[in-house]
Amino acid sequence: MIELKIKIGNTFFQNPVFVASGTFGYGLEAVKIGLDLSGFGGIVSKSITRYPREGNPPPRLVETASGMINSIGLANVGVEKFVSDILPEMEKLGTPVIVNIAGTDREEYIQVLEMIESVNPDIAGYEINISCPNVKQGGMEFGVDPVMTGQLTADLRKRTNKLLIMKLSPNVTSIAEIAQAAEAEGADALSAINTVVGMSIDSTTRKSNIYTYYGGLSGPAIKPVGLACVNKVYNSVKIPVIGIGGITNGADMAEYFIAGAVAVQVGTANFRDPGIALKIVQEFSDYCEGQKLISCMELTGTLLKNKPT
Amino acid sequence: MIEVGQITDNRPVAKNLFELSIKLPGIAELYQGPGQFVAILPARSWENPLRRPMSIASVSGDILSIIFKIFGQGTRKLSRLRPGDAVDVLGPLGNTFDLSPADQPILIGGGVGLAPILNLYDLFSQRNLEPILILGARNESEHFLEHEPENRVWLTTDDGSDGLEGDVMVALRKVMKSVEKVTIYGCGPEPMLKVLQAYSVENGVQIQISVESYMGCGIGICQGCVIKNESSTVKDHSYHEKYTLVCTNGPVFNASEIDLD
Repeated sequence: MIELKIKIGNTFFQNPVFVASGTFGYGLEAVKIGLDLSGFGGIVSKSITRYPREGNPPPRLVETASGMINSIGLANVGVEKFVSDILPEMEKLGTPVIVNIAGTDREEYIQVLEMIESVNPDIAGYEINISCPNVKQGGMEFGVDPVMTGQLTADLRKRTNKLLIMKLSPNVTSIAEIAQAAEAEGADALSAINTVVGMSIDSTTRKSNIYTYYGGLSGPAIKPVGLACVNKVYNSVKIPVIGIGGITNGADMAEYFIAGAVAVQVGTANFRDPGIALKIVQEFSDYCEGQKLISCMELTGTLLKNKPT
Repeated sequence: MIEVGQITDNRPVAKNLFELSIKLPGIAELYQGPGQFVAILPARSWENPLRRPMSIASVSGDILSIIFKIFGQGTRKLSRLRPGDAVDVLGPLGNTFDLSPADQPILIGGGVGLAPILNLYDLFSQRNLEPILILGARNESEHFLEHEPENRVWLTTDDGSDGLEGDVMVALRKVMKSVEKVTIYGCGPEPMLKVLQAYSVENGVQIQISVESYMGCGIGICQGCVIKNESSTVKDHSYHEKYTLVCTNGPVFNASEIDLD
């Protein structure tokens, strides 16, 4: 039996497959439809913000070739209701919980983290969504700027001992630079990638199929982008990297490991089948056995070099 | 539940309109009534990652039928499936039409909106409630029922090639001259629903409509399928007050509850 147990920071997980933020709600909905969550490595919650958010006007999502674009707009209950109503239920799910936090300025991220920490939650840690415009810096995304990323990481690092994961954006000039800024300020791990900026236009009506014009592309179409980003980050930091982007089966997951990931998140694929992460764990396990590995950790960063010419 | 079923029939019923029948004993058993829908995978390939939501046109024993139009390449793939092929279906999803009003039912369908309307029509007919049926289309090639006002079935076509000339409102206004208390059930293209909504407000008539939306997960998780609530007090920070989910709080709504603009 292949060893699937992994360690990220100081936290153990029974297997390296998580479900990505925004694709699984708060895990409670899946339980309601009869899914057993005990086989998941963990759940990353929908992004929580300081105040409740309705989200963007529709249309909020559209399928594109081998993918989809979403512009949900961080619709969520807000941290106060999350802490009072949802977090207690998530703690009973029987699978590690990582709370994803989003914000429009530094203070909001800090307030959300502090408010959750103040109830001493039984969670594995936090994933910080830095693909958010900083309204106090002219709407520039935190995650495109190494200084803002580093500062935010430092702000949050000093307020929790729990697992702190910075979720990187692919829409940047140098993802390695952003990764290094987060590492320098104490992030335990990085996850990559968030969605890729995209657009979908209806040529008969000349309208955008997404209300906000631009949205985030996800699904199999972005796997090559995710792999490149994970590999670049792996080659530039020492902290572990969690791979995200277009994973639908065990082979996709193996590709991310070979590129440098120690774990993965499954996102868009959950829309087709909320139980797909469990199938992916099994397929990946079979793959590792076929490769005669003892532990999945042996697969991380094993991309072979090409012969020099 | 997710169930893989075998196709028993897949046939064109009118121009660009297909009726697909699938053996789905599990979903059929959970089915609650007209209004509900299923989410179908056009193919196993990940070229089309998302399921397509389709209103249930009928459930008879183990066999569930949908009616669909070829809209894009996902539905084109569906149209090419043959009896014996397997298809992956999530369902039943959504809410049902509310049948409790004891008024004269008038059912109005346009385009692929006729799937839940025909479903409802069969149910009302079985219960001897003498429903009036109004179906609209662009021309006669899109109709597959007969214009029979004496049997309470009214067709309309934009070009007058079948039934009354004009849109469904032409037939509705005619019908309303000889009925008293009514409840209207409508499903069809957005312009049709907007006109029905305006009619409902102007004339104080109860109208239930079934709406469409792009969908992600179909089960209330992704927040992708929202529709605007009509009367929401505008607060600075709120959640699920301005918008509501079509997949779980719909697809059937009271026309007065939602904003179709």
